[in-house]
Amino acid sequence: MSALADIEQSVETLLATSAYTLAPGERHAALLVLLKQELAYACDRNPRFRNYVEQWPVDFHTADTIAALPYLPVGVFKANPPLALVGADEVKRTLSSSATTGQVPSRVVLDAATARRMTKGIITIIRNFIGPTRRPYLVIDTAENVAAQGEMGARGAAIQGLRSFATEVVCCLRRNPEGDSCLDREKLLACAAKWRHTEVLAYGFTYVIWTDLVQPLQRQGITLEMPNVRILHSGGWKRLEQQAVTKDVFVRDVAAVFGCSADRVIDYYGMVENVGVIYPDCEYGNKHVPAFAEVIVRNPRTLAPVEAGVEGLIQVCSVLPTSFPGFLVLTEDMGEIVDYDGCLCGRRGTSFRFAGRAPKAEVRGCGNLETTRYQ
Amino acid sequence: MSGLIEAVDSPESLARAAGQLRATVQEKEIDPQTTLTLFEQWASALDDRALGETPGVTFLRLWLRRGTLEPVLLRELGPHSLNGGWREDGRARLRAFPLGVIGHWPAGNIEIQPILSLTCGLLGGNACLVRVPGDLVEISSRIMEKLQDVDRTGLLTERISMVSFDHSRADLHQAMAQGVDGAMIWGGAEAVSQVRGLSFPHWARVVVFGPRLSVAAIDAGVWGDRTEGPGWCRRIARDVWQFDQQACSSPQALFIERAAGCDPNEFVEDLRRAFEEENRAHPPRQMQPALTSAICLARASWLLDDIANRAWFPKSPDWTILLGSGADIPKPTQGRTLSVLQVDDLFEVIRRFDGTVQTLGLGIKDACREETLAQAAGRHGVDRVVRLGQMHVFGSPWDGVDLIRPMVRLVRHVRSQN
Repeated sequence: MSALADIEQSVETLLATSAYTLAPGERHAALLVLLKQELAYACDRNPRFRNYVEQWPVDFHTADTIAALPYLPVGVFKANPPLALVGADEVKRTLSSSATTGQVPSRVVLDAATARRMTKGIITIIRNFIGPTRRPYLVIDTAENVAAQGEMGARGAAIQGLRSFATEVVCCLRRNPEGDSCLDREKLLACAAKWRHTEVLAYGFTYVIWTDLVQPLQRQGITLEMPNVRILHSGGWKRLEQQAVTKDVFVRDVAAVFGCSADRVIDYYGMVENVGVIYPDCEYGNKHVPAFAEVIVRNPRTLAPVEAGVEGLIQVCSVLPTSFPGFLVLTEDMGEIVDYDGCLCGRRGTSFRFAGRAPKAEVRGCGNLETTRYQ
Repeated sequence: MSGLIEAVDSPESLARAAGQLRATVQEKEIDPQTTLTLFEQWASALDDRALGETPGVTFLRLWLRRGTLEPVLLRELGPHSLNGGWREDGRARLRAFPLGVIGHWPAGNIEIQPILSLTCGLLGGNACLVRVPGDLVEISSRIMEKLQDVDRTGLLTERISMVSFDHSRADLHQAMAQGVDGAMIWGGAEAVSQVRGLSFPHWARVVVFGPRLSVAAIDAGVWGDRTEGPGWCRRIARDVWQFDQQACSSPQALFIERAAGCDPNEFVEDLRRAFEEENRAHPPRQMQPALTSAICLARASWLLDDIANRAWFPKSPDWTILLGSGADIPKPTQGRTLSVLQVDDLFEVIRRFDGTVQTLGLGIKDACREETLAQAAGRHGVDRVVRLGQMHVFGSPWDGVDLIRPMVRLVRHVRSQN
C-alpha cells in the first residue's frame, strides 16, 4: 500500500470514530503515528517543506509527543503561490481567509480527498452539538457568499460546511444598490413564521449577525419567535470588541431577537488553515478538540507547551489535510487549555478557551522601519 | 524637578511645566563646566549595585564622564565652548546660547534613552521636557534619583521636567510640542511620523534620530580565519544581543564575502556557538507573542522560500541564524534573528544602500580596502562605520547629526563701538 493510501485509511478510521469519545492517551498515540506519517509524506512531496523539517532542532522521527513535531507558523499560508503537496491539476478548490483591509489572506489548496475529509470532519463535529437531523438552514449572509466557486473565502467555506444539515437554504441578507449587505426583512420574517415550530439551523459571521441582523431588528423592536433555532457563529470578536459588545451581551441579544434560549447560540473557533476542524463551545463555555485533531498552547517566551490554565499561543493540529502541509499550525491567537480530559459536558479529550489575537508588539524601537525605499 | 516623573493628564499641566522651564532657562545660565562636574558626580553615584543589572547603566556612566563629553563639546561647539564665553570671529564675536525648552520623545526600546537624550539638551544649556515611555518610568526614576542626590541645589534638576502619558494621547503630545523650542525625537517609523507631524512653533528646531537599520559585513580574510573567526563571532553576537536587536544600531543582517577555500558552514558553526554562549549569559527576559510569531515566521519562510537556504535555531524563539545568499537586506525580524548572506563582493551590498542604513559594522582584514568600503558606505547614506562589537557605542555625531549643536543658537554680536 502506498504511503498516501496508508494515511488515508488511518484518517478515515479516526473520522469514523465518534468525535469526543477517545481516551486522551489513545488519541495522542494514534495522532502521533499518523502525523509522523503525514510529515514524511509531505517531505517527499515538497522539497521546500522538507528543507524546513530537516532543519528543525528535533528529528521528528524520534519525537515522542505531538508537541515536539515541527509546526508551521500560520503566516506561511499567506505565500503566493500557496504551499501545496499536490500539483495544480489536482487542486479542486482554494480556500482563503477573511483578511481585513490591507492584510494578505491565507490561502490553502484542497484536492478532492482533502475536501471530502473537510466536509466529513465538520459534519462529525457539528452533529455532536446539534444532532444528525436535517433541517431548514438560515444563512445570515448574502446569496453571493453561498455560491461555490473555484476560490472560496472563509465565510463561504463556513456556510458550505453546514449545508449537509440543510433541507433547504435561505439567505436573509441581500446587497443594496450601493453593494453593501443589508437585511432582507420580509424574507426573514416569512421564514420565521414558516419555521416557528421547526428545528432550524442558522449560521453567520459573528459581526455580520450583530450588524446586519440583531441591530436592525432591535431598532425595529422585532422578535423572530424561533424557539427551536440553533445559531452557530464564528469569525472573531475584534470588530465587536471595538463596539464594546461582549460575548455575554452578544449571546443575550441574539437569543432575545430570535426568541430562543441563550444555550442555542453557539460560538465556534476555526480557521481555513485548519480545514475540517472547528471548535464549538460546549454548555460550559469550553471548546472541544475532536478525535482527529489536537490543540497545544505554547509559552510565547519559550515556545514550550504550557500547563492547563496558562495562557499562550494556540497551535492547532489536524490529520485531515493531505493537499497542503496544514497538520501542525502555530496560530497568532492566544488561549488556554482548560483540561486534557473530563469536561463536565461529557466530551472527552482536550478542551480550551480562546482569548483573542496576540496583541501587536507595543515597543517597536528605533530599529523598526515600516517602510523603506527598497520596497 | 519635583516628583521625578509626573503622570500628566491635561494639556494645561504640560503648558505650565514648559512655562516654568522657559522662565528658568531665560533667567539663569548654567556654564558647561558646572554641568560637566555634576554629570561626573552623577556618573559616580550610578556606580550602585542596585542599578548594576539595568541595561545601559554601565554605558551611561561612561557617557557622563568629563573625558567623554569634553571632546564632544569641543568638536561640536568649538574651542571656547567649555568656558561658555564669547569667542572672537573677525569683527564680531560669537557665543552659543540654548534654544530654550527642548522636548524629548525617546523610543521605548532603549532603557537609558530618555536620560541620554536629556543630557544632550542640558549640555547646550537648555531646559528639558521629557516624555518618558510607560515601560521606562521606573528605571528612569531610579537613574534620576541619583542626579537629585548629587545636584543638591537643583542647578540641573530645576531645568528638567519628566512626564509620562499614554502614547495615544494626541492632545498631550500636541501640548508638549507647542511648549518647546526644539525637539529631539527618537524611535520607530510609526512613533517618529506621529511626533514629527505635530504642530511645533515655527521657530522650533526638530531633530529626528531613527528609524534606521544597521548591518554588518566581513570579508573572507576575517571570517575564513579559523583562529580569529570565533572572536569576531562573539563580537557580532554582542552587537545582536544588546537592546534585543531593536535599536537602530542593531545588525539585522551580516554579509560575508565569498572566497575560495573558505567554508561558510564552519563560520556559521562558530557563530552558533557564540549565539548560544551569549544567550546563556543574557537570555531574553520576556518576549511579546507577536515577536515570537514573527520569529517563527522568519524561520519558516526562509527555509520554505529556497531549498538552498539554511537555518540554525533552538526550540525556543531565543535566537536564529538564517544562512543564504544575496546582496539585499532582508526585512528585519528583530528578536535576535540574524540573516547571514553570502556575496561575491561587499561593494555589491553597499551599492544598494539608499539611506536607511545607519551603522555598518565591519570586520575587514585589509585597512586600505576598509577605507574604500567606508568611503562607499558614506556615499550611500551610512552615518556610522565602526568595528564589529562596537555598533552600539553612542557618540556624536549620531545618525550623521551632532547631538548638542542642533539645540543651541550661535549668537553673533557686532559691537556698536569700535
